[in-house]
Amino acid sequence: MARRVVITGIGVISPIGIGHQTFWQNLTAGVVGVRTLASFNPGGFPSRIAGEVPPYKIGDFVPKSYRKATKVMARDIELAVVAADDAFKDSGLQSRAYTDAPTINSQRFGCNIGAGLISADLNELTAAMTSARSGNDLDLTAWGREGMTQLTPLWLLKYLPNMLACHVTIVHGLKGPSNTITCADASSHLAIGEAFRTIQRGDAELAICGGAESKVNPMGLIRQCLLNRVAVESNDQPAEAVRPFDASARGTAVAEGGGLFILEDLDHARARRAKIYAEVVGFGASQDAYSVTTPDPTGRSYAAALTKALREANVPADKVDLLIPHGLGIASHDRAELAGLRSAFGEALSSVAFSPIKAQTGNLAAGSGVDAAAAVLAIHHQQAPPALNTVDPIDGVKLNVSRESRATEVSVSMSSVYSLGGQNAALVFRKMQAE
Amino acid sequence: MNRVVITGIGWVTPMGHTIEGVWKRLLAGESGISRTSLFDAATFPTSISAEVKDFNLDVHIFDHSAHKGAGRNTQFALAACASAWNMAGLPGLHATRESAGTVAESSAAKLDAAALDLDRVGIYLAGGEGELDFAAFTHAALASWNAETGQIDTVRWAEVAFEKMNATREVEQEPNMPLSHVAILTGARGPALNCLTACAASTQAIGEATEILRRGDADVMIGGGAHSMIHPFGVTGFNRLTALSTANDDPPRASRPFDANRGGFVLGEGAGVVILETLDHARKRGAKILAEVVGYGSTADAFRITDQDPEGLGAVVAMEEAMRDANIQPTDIHYINAHGTGTRENDGNETQAIKTAFKEYAASVPVSSIKSMMGHLIAAAGAVELITCVLAIRDNVLPPTMNLHTHDPECDLDYIPNKARSAQVSAAMSNSFGFGGQNDTLIVRRFAE
Repeated sequence: MARRVVITGIGVISPIGIGHQTFWQNLTAGVVGVRTLASFNPGGFPSRIAGEVPPYKIGDFVPKSYRKATKVMARDIELAVVAADDAFKDSGLQSRAYTDAPTINSQRFGCNIGAGLISADLNELTAAMTSARSGNDLDLTAWGREGMTQLTPLWLLKYLPNMLACHVTIVHGLKGPSNTITCADASSHLAIGEAFRTIQRGDAELAICGGAESKVNPMGLIRQCLLNRVAVESNDQPAEAVRPFDASARGTAVAEGGGLFILEDLDHARARRAKIYAEVVGFGASQDAYSVTTPDPTGRSYAAALTKALREANVPADKVDLLIPHGLGIASHDRAELAGLRSAFGEALSSVAFSPIKAQTGNLAAGSGVDAAAAVLAIHHQQAPPALNTVDPIDGVKLNVSRESRATEVSVSMSSVYSLGGQNAALVFRKMQAE
Repeated sequence: MNRVVITGIGWVTPMGHTIEGVWKRLLAGESGISRTSLFDAATFPTSISAEVKDFNLDVHIFDHSAHKGAGRNTQFALAACASAWNMAGLPGLHATRESAGTVAESSAAKLDAAALDLDRVGIYLAGGEGELDFAAFTHAALASWNAETGQIDTVRWAEVAFEKMNATREVEQEPNMPLSHVAILTGARGPALNCLTACAASTQAIGEATEILRRGDADVMIGGGAHSMIHPFGVTGFNRLTALSTANDDPPRASRPFDANRGGFVLGEGAGVVILETLDHARKRGAKILAEVVGYGSTADAFRITDQDPEGLGAVVAMEEAMRDANIQPTDIHYINAHGTGTRENDGNETQAIKTAFKEYAASVPVSSIKSMMGHLIAAAGAVELITCVLAIRDNVLPPTMNLHTHDPECDLDYIPNKARSAQVSAAMSNSFGFGGQNDTLIVRRFAE
């Protein structure tokens, strides 16, 4: 008998705000976090815009005793740790980060935090490499003998993708099943789905899940440029750069951030009188098997993921009140996604409130848990976020979009994503009914 | 809950690329460890590794034009998958992109009504990061270094990097590339995930794939892992952690799990893939069943990123959970394939954890580490070690822990020292404990109706 699973905490760090409340306020107010890239000089790149997280001090988000450990955190890890703090505080759960007498059963609290390909800090690594340089090449003989000792001993641990989950489990004392999904833009949703399953089958009562990533660094940006995924003609108008499903879509924008949920067994949540945002009622996952760089133009497998999630939720497509699709703003990708959405939704696609959020956030990649967070906050606030920049839908498709947020009944919401390489994932959420 | 069985196995390892060839060498106590040749490691603290030798994708896949640009670890995954898929007797591999989208049409002539429903075939791999484009990366970094500011000049960096880097080499570094390529190879369109919990990853991938099948979200799951980190920054990272053996003068004897003179693991590379299937689906198509997956446990230490919890509670609970999941007692386990990396820390902690989980039976359950021969395949370790358990069950024989000569009082179990041993093996356990404290355990059993 599958247990019911609800969301009792939301943690967000994003280009439009740190903390889920600030995020939601700014999202619904139409604030755009895609701006001229500031954290390094992007002058040599064709795309010079990014969704950057506002400044923060990582020490503010961990117990004092853990501040030393923050020195071995890559940016991606910091983002996960900050989002985790937000989620925990939101949930009211007293982990060992907040008290010497934690009230959680650590053995029954899982963790599933997705991550991307983490870039080593170039300044740190190059400083060490200069001691073993031969012109512009690295002299391996000198590097092996001496040069590598310039790197801190824990260097590798700063950049392993499983360290997002590991630091969070250490800070909060979580000893249940722990995983790290690495499926690019689909990571957060797959992690949330898998954590959902873990609680459904009784292997944990609680789990913190989602993902975080930063592509706002030279390696992250160059990869997106080389793949022609990012907007290169909007450097002077970053707020208009990312145009999900718009006829003039011209590419996405790199970004950074993280979105995490605390998922909880419903009985457990009720017993501690937790605030419940919504119930997770459906999860679907599939694979394109088409290309490693572009989505299947028929959207066939993407549709299958959505359909599976809806079937599990026992919700027909026309009963979905709000949809937050991936909506990268890459023309060919949007087209493929739209084909999939049409297959899954049929005519209902023209009436469901349609709110892709990447015009405002950029692409958080493995941190796309923020999309799922938005879908749940929409239920909480009974409000559909804006679909900024979706002004002239491609191929004249009729979409229920608005440039402003709208108060509207949201009983069922859905968030769906797909990755480079073809992993597709969809989550369905439902408002708790009075019972 | 569906029962889950294994119907195909395949691997690409430092000791060879065929199931029987490698198994024979493991039982003979041979070694895949030698002087590192993939890059010039002569002055590195560790100049030995377990490299995959003489690998040629042509041998495994007739037409791999859909996989141009596939990195080393992805190629290993493709080959291991082809091997396992063919062993499982699954219908024709889609080795060309054209056929991937038209499986029903192209194979209609060959298949009968029981065509494989590719929407119900999923994949769960532990794919490691691909290989950095070392020359381009280092060149761009050094060419743009500003010694005065102690930082790279990112404008200059971009200039050089755009000149030297290319899209394919960059995209193929993404950890989901082995997964994505395997999907194109097989046409699998079901649930597809990649996890990267370090050294525990492919044990976890197979465990989670098992859960997907138990629940009925797929009929077939391709499970396993692929990793290749034998490159300058990979070895640098592990050497800085002092995790690697530095016994460079005698490579076959450098990996010494449980030995008093152990000094770290030997970095290996490769891939292991298993075809997992619901029992119903396997029966319906008359598949040969190699073993059944009966138990899976997963925990976190929540201790430190650098060290395992010396009390080993996370490892204990992972083993206990797997046994509870399998509904079996410690005495039903006839072999433990240990994580057994050969680091000072792991082997003592793992011994203690086995004693706690197995109580008085710990002294009699045979334990061995094939890392003594094959090295540590990191994300792929769990997969090759599970395949080893399947073969132990199949042949009623246990692989040894090689290089075990000097007794360590902290490590006093039966580690099957230096020589393979015949034994009745009905059920076997495989442990994998990742850096950062993620612990995973699987139990497989001889199949019985």
